[in-house]
Amino acid sequence: MNAATLDRKPPTVGMSQIVFLEQPETAHSVFGSCIALTLFHARMKLGAIAHIVLPRSSGREGQPGKFADTAIPYMLTQLTARGARGSGLVPKLCGGASMFGGGGPIQIGEENVTAVEALLKEARIPIVGRHLGGKKGRRVTFDCATGDATIEIVGQPAEVI
Amino acid sequence: MTQTTEDQKLAVLNQLFTSATQNASIAMSRWTSGQITLSLDEVSEVQLDSLPTALDIGDDLLTMVVLTLDGEMGGQLILTFDDTNGRQLAASLLNRDLNTEPEWSALEQSALMETGNILGCAYLRSLAEVIDTELVPSPPYFVQDYGASVLEQAVMTQAMVSDRALICRTSFRRQGEVLSWDVFFVPTESLLTRLENAFVAIQ
Repeated sequence: MNAATLDRKPPTVGMSQIVFLEQPETAHSVFGSCIALTLFHARMKLGAIAHIVLPRSSGREGQPGKFADTAIPYMLTQLTARGARGSGLVPKLCGGASMFGGGGPIQIGEENVTAVEALLKEARIPIVGRHLGGKKGRRVTFDCATGDATIEIVGQPAEVI
Repeated sequence: MTQTTEDQKLAVLNQLFTSATQNASIAMSRWTSGQITLSLDEVSEVQLDSLPTALDIGDDLLTMVVLTLDGEMGGQLILTFDDTNGRQLAASLLNRDLNTEPEWSALEQSALMETGNILGCAYLRSLAEVIDTELVPSPPYFVQDYGASVLEQAVMTQAMVSDRALICRTSFRRQGEVLSWDVFFVPTESLLTRLENAFVAIQ
């Protein structure tokens, strides 16, 4: 599946991918320090979910979903083209864990969160749901009928934001 | 990089990691009184976006031991088990009955971490000899989580510079029977290049 694929029935959203959905489709993703950003337009029942890996592209090539500063403009452009304008979009953000107890390879979770928050603020789209941090991976299921993001963490009850 | 060059690189790395796996297998066999051996399954470059699918490790809850090599010559070595297999190994090493409590005891965790330590050190010692550099991993870290979330973090350093990650996958056998265990080794680009160059030079 290509990063910016318009595939209508994706089972999962892999690293760097963006998937666009319409009611009643769902998509899910599993991630640790990466960020899952969902955007939902309640009236149009359209949405998108991105599995963002890094905060900034800094000129690096890659799929638009890989970096926060390329993923968000791409999602907004594509959703606008489908009639879901920014003013009606509801963003939810989850992920950004410090995996391996905060040790190990580059811990990019906090930077990812900061970058996504700043970009959405700049676009004047207030975040309505957050489920961030911690030291465990998450599995998120995004429901494009309701805009709900159901978050599962191993050993904890599921939460809906 | 052309396909031929890419194939040559993978062939070189395959030889190199086969040797490291053999060393780890000897250590593992000693540790488990001859029960468990390892063999290299594949050395492959995987697209980041298809990582869980390519390695068939998506939403599964796994018990893992992670060893980290810090620095430029770095990487991650991850030993994965499903819960049942992990517990069976711990019980066997501790010479006890299988623990059926939902929570892993400290002793079980310790047995698994020591397994990761023995395997990882043997594996890395073999690689270190090739590049004549010390490769000393962090203390083992025990984690129970979604396999994909751990693997994602393991490839993060490679993701900074590439949309692909090189992964070495190893399988385990107990008296010939394949077990649902895996070892994934994810080296940094710098370590890979150094290993590849050193290995070619001594051939």
